[in-house]
Amino acid sequence: MSDRGIEGLAAARLWAATRFPYLATGVFGAQVVADRGSGTVSVDESWRMRADPELTAAWTPAQLGSVLVHHVCHLLRTHGERAQAAGVRPDEARTWVRAADAEINDDLVPAGLDLPGRPVLPRDLRAEDGLLAEQYFDGIRRAQRAPAHGAKGGREAGDQDRSAQSEGETAGAWLDCGSGADGMPRPGQQPDGRGGALPRWQAELLRRQVAQDVMAHGKQPGTVPAGLLRWAEEFLSPKVNWRVLLAAELRRAVAEVAGAVDYSYRRPSRRSAVAGQVVLPALRRPVPEVAVVCDTSGSMTADLLAMVLAEVEGLLRTLGLARQVRVLACDTAVGPAQRVNSARQVQLTGGGGTDMGAGIRAAAALRPRPAVTVVLTDGYTPWPAAAPKGMRIVVGLLGAQAPDAPPWARAVRVEPD
Amino acid sequence: MSPNHPAVEALGVAVAARVPVLLWGAPGTGKTSAIRAMAQAMGLPCETVIASIREPSDFAGLPIVVGDGVRFAPPAWARRLAEAGHGLLFLDELSTAPPAVQAALLRVVLERVVGDLTLPDAVAVVAAANPPEQAADGWDLSAPLANRLCHLAWQTDARSVADGLAGGWAAPVVPVLPDGWQAEEILSRGLVAAFLHVRPALACAPPSDAASAGRGWPSPRTWEMAARLMAAAGAAGTGDDARSALIMGAVGEGPGVEFLAWLVEMDLPDPEQVLADPASFRLPERGDRAYAALAAIAAAVAADPTPARWTAGWQVLGLAADAAPDVAAVAARVLARCRPDGAALPAEIHLFAPVLRNAGLLQA
Repeated sequence: MSDRGIEGLAAARLWAATRFPYLATGVFGAQVVADRGSGTVSVDESWRMRADPELTAAWTPAQLGSVLVHHVCHLLRTHGERAQAAGVRPDEARTWVRAADAEINDDLVPAGLDLPGRPVLPRDLRAEDGLLAEQYFDGIRRAQRAPAHGAKGGREAGDQDRSAQSEGETAGAWLDCGSGADGMPRPGQQPDGRGGALPRWQAELLRRQVAQDVMAHGKQPGTVPAGLLRWAEEFLSPKVNWRVLLAAELRRAVAEVAGAVDYSYRRPSRRSAVAGQVVLPALRRPVPEVAVVCDTSGSMTADLLAMVLAEVEGLLRTLGLARQVRVLACDTAVGPAQRVNSARQVQLTGGGGTDMGAGIRAAAALRPRPAVTVVLTDGYTPWPAAAPKGMRIVVGLLGAQAPDAPPWARAVRVEPD
Repeated sequence: MSPNHPAVEALGVAVAARVPVLLWGAPGTGKTSAIRAMAQAMGLPCETVIASIREPSDFAGLPIVVGDGVRFAPPAWARRLAEAGHGLLFLDELSTAPPAVQAALLRVVLERVVGDLTLPDAVAVVAAANPPEQAADGWDLSAPLANRLCHLAWQTDARSVADGLAGGWAAPVVPVLPDGWQAEEILSRGLVAAFLHVRPALACAPPSDAASAGRGWPSPRTWEMAARLMAAAGAAGTGDDARSALIMGAVGEGPGVEFLAWLVEMDLPDPEQVLADPASFRLPERGDRAYAALAAIAAAVAADPTPARWTAGWQVLGLAADAAPDVAAVAARVLARCRPDGAALPAEIHLFAPVLRNAGLLQA
């Protein structure tokens, strides 16, 4: 933990831990070793940093400390893993790192990060602050694909240009941040678990600890940059995609009806041969009818409703139930049950009041009677006091501010993404 | 996947400890072939039963009328395993089994009872499943069945696929546990018990939403399973990643992470003990752990700054200053701010002047 051949490392880490106390655990958690002749400071996914002492000798403790903080942020935000998930090709690694740098720097540079050279900021990528690396990366890709080849002569050219002259002048074209930033394995890198590498689960615990530190510091407003606070919140209580939840609830509702695989004497059992005189019942599996009740009052958002309805129809199709679906539009009065072929055909009639109870009653009156009813609403509606008999209700609550659904229904919150 | 991939290693430990294990993975990622290869490498008979095309009576026993009553006859695969005395029962496509079949599987998985027949203790139960969103007609696993299994994620990466195509697929290795490894289980049970004492809410927390119902969740049974797996992983000398995968697989990801974090924290020295006897302090090796230990000690002094404790705090920092001047300096700044009346300036304070000055935190 002493200087390890890198002059000023202790002072740099102290500067970083004092300036960014909420990242101190991360700064001290990374192993820093000297790597003479590499010409850069890089980091791998096991929290090992390699720094070229000749390069860092020219930096002030604040600059080296800032580079450490910057690299810790690469690790906290798992840029390596995300690069793989985003399908970054090796030749695009530099572009990805610029996007990742922008994600880190947009709020840390204003907070006092003092990087050597000129750090990449979102405005260098002609993008706004506060986006994710994936979004910046998409933006750069699109700009590069744009037919105007002349644009390549601009600032973006530094991206391909690795020549020494341009370094330090073009934003961010000065460092190879390592596999911790772009996910590309480096030759000669030791595999996980050796050479002081942090095992994956410990790295996960370390990130968690930093996230908790960030949240603790964030309780005093104005001390932690908003972007970092958002990261910590997301990390500690990740938002589950509503599509996954909706799919699981629908499958469960259908499984509890359809999957009530029951014994019946209508057909003899496949196993009857062994039972002699005894007649064994066979298993039967009813195919449930499904109804979808859509809230069409004026407070609904047409696009969101169409999106969710398409999702529901897609889910039911994978369950083999597409033919059984009937859609009802409902505000205070219930429109006729519509057979829709696409979600876009549902018309929002935009009446004033809403009563989903009427919609549920209308669904119960359909013949054959639906076993599962999906209600899509913004939640501003009276509900029946008790669950309708013999019918499972799954409620999709559309919009971030939707009030709760009644306790007898299984509810999924759908927030536009 | 290579044999030292955490998931593969974890699978071996679970089989060695005879804890029912379930592999979750996309179709075509080699779950089935890995399990068959493992059985072959161990020289064990492997009975593959595809749960989705079976009826409940295949697991609960087929009722047969005999002279004075009804017998529940076990199917042939169960009889073969019972005769062999050991082996691998492989339940494939578990998540496409309809709920009624899953209900019939409950006793098979945990107690190894098929109809009237009890399978020998040496039979290991292994299952494989596709996540419901990937299977054509998948059901979510019922919460009771999910609670009887250790869930492992089976993910393949491009590199191991390339290696496997070029050089053949390596079979997972089942470690041979040394005799008497169960003795360690007492220790790990003690750890789990101590943790649940701190976090009683995690002793039993059935899942609330349908999406997480089919995965591991904490209950007394799964905590016991986690303790057993921890002991087995320790005895087999498996890597940390595999051990954490096993614990999280048994009790679920959230509770598993909390337990692991608690284990790590338990290794840190107790600040009050250190302040009572500063000479006993040993600085943890890793920088973040050293930071956690020293920050805790500085916070303990700041909470109750008597001259004696304040001086003891500086003595601890003096011991750490050589190995980790930067980490100790962060704690030193906390101590410097809470100097109690009447405390003499400690000699150690001079140790930190150079590094503080270099960092620009000290006016010359």
